[in-house]
Amino acid sequence: MTQDEVIRAAAADWAVRIGSAGFDDWEGFTAWLEESPDHALAYDRVAAGVADAVDILPPVAAADEPAEAQPRGRPRRWMLGALAAAVAAGGVGMWQWADPGGYTVMTKPGETRTIALADGGSVVLAGDSRIELYRDAPRRAAVEQGSAYFTIRHDADDPFRVRVGENRLVDIGTRFEVQREGDAMQVAVAEGAVAFNPRGQNVRLNPGDMLSSEGGQRFSVTRVPVAEIGEWRDGRLSFQDRPLPEIAARLSAMTGVAFRVAPGAAQRRLSGSVEIDSVRDDPAVLGDLFGIAVARSGDDWVIG
Amino acid sequence: MTESAPPNGLEAALIAHRETLLRFLRARGAGEAAEDVLHELWLKIRSARTGPIAAPLSYLYRAADTLMIDRFRAERQAVKRDRDWSEQMAGAAPGVSEAPSGERIMMGRDHARLVAQRIDSCGARAASAFRRHRIDGVAQREVARELGVSLSTVESDLRLVYRALAELREEILAV
Repeated sequence: MTQDEVIRAAAADWAVRIGSAGFDDWEGFTAWLEESPDHALAYDRVAAGVADAVDILPPVAAADEPAEAQPRGRPRRWMLGALAAAVAAGGVGMWQWADPGGYTVMTKPGETRTIALADGGSVVLAGDSRIELYRDAPRRAAVEQGSAYFTIRHDADDPFRVRVGENRLVDIGTRFEVQREGDAMQVAVAEGAVAFNPRGQNVRLNPGDMLSSEGGQRFSVTRVPVAEIGEWRDGRLSFQDRPLPEIAARLSAMTGVAFRVAPGAAQRRLSGSVEIDSVRDDPAVLGDLFGIAVARSGDDWVIG
Repeated sequence: MTESAPPNGLEAALIAHRETLLRFLRARGAGEAAEDVLHELWLKIRSARTGPIAAPLSYLYRAADTLMIDRFRAERQAVKRDRDWSEQMAGAAPGVSEAPSGERIMMGRDHARLVAQRIDSCGARAASAFRRHRIDGVAQREVARELGVSLSTVESDLRLVYRALAELREEILAV
């Protein structure tokens, strides 16, 4: 082996060791790094290569997907899968292809859809939401945008996995809601349990736990009433001390009415519970419910 | 919500092990930015409510390591974008797409397919070990049990895949 190869091999070895659960030889790692600046570079290359791969691979286990599983000859079968989902959902929304094996289901603002999963579970999509499903991997999903409420048939040997941006959720139970807006995400468990980033923070969320992350490694866990999780499916939205822009976005998604936050009101936090239909019929009711000003401006409603 | 998170044991550990962590960050390639990275780490743990942590120093090392990996990835991507852009401009011709070529390669399913092929080229068992461990988040020891091999076999499989992925990344960035 050349000197370069020796370093590469050592870097890969450290990356593997650091990835093991009980690793604590950080002093040994520091000592190796201090031997030469080339060591840190070699390690970064390995770690970045692995991180890139983890980010870009669809959440499909190798056992489910043979090496030649990205064929060109199967579009018809994906189409059937997606059509089945669209039909099961009662179908007005839009759907389109994402990448081989995967397809996207979307809703418009104000629309709610139920997608039947092949294994008997279901996903309810709130308005203005987008989710990716995998025809060849019925136990996988990726939330791209908005809110999705999962009811999953639990199987300890093949847990349901959800990808939310950089984060991964593995179900240990049965009912949970995922919300995503760009890098920010929330997951709330109504029944059973969910593991958040098993290979990272590995936090177990029990019923009534809501984890919020603004992206990166930062996250917080708070308690929410179980009855409020996914209650938009029954036509209601509740907020507890939430920022006004988030409230406006969720109301817009669920009612199809465009709400904007008044200048200077973006820092306000509010609590309250509203009936989605009532707000859609008369956005002005928000004034009394939240104690805020509501004014019409063209097609939009300005609140705050 | 995050604002109301109480101070946690990590902050105390960070203060206690400040010099140790700075030394690690410098060795890790942060150089003069070591203080900045440590501050970034401080901000992260201050706003995170993580629950009790059994080994705070180990947690902090790992978080610092992850920060450095993120910085490395962001830096390399930015350098590449700039380079692609200037090459594109130097050779710009009418009717030619203005999207930087490297960006297109880095994005979407082409890259996903390259990654999958490279992982599979390491052999079926190594590919399974990598996916179970890194994609599904299963511990190495558990992966060994599932595959019916020793822990050291899993480790050597992972080393093989890691090196292959590091090489693939360099190849893609060199395009």
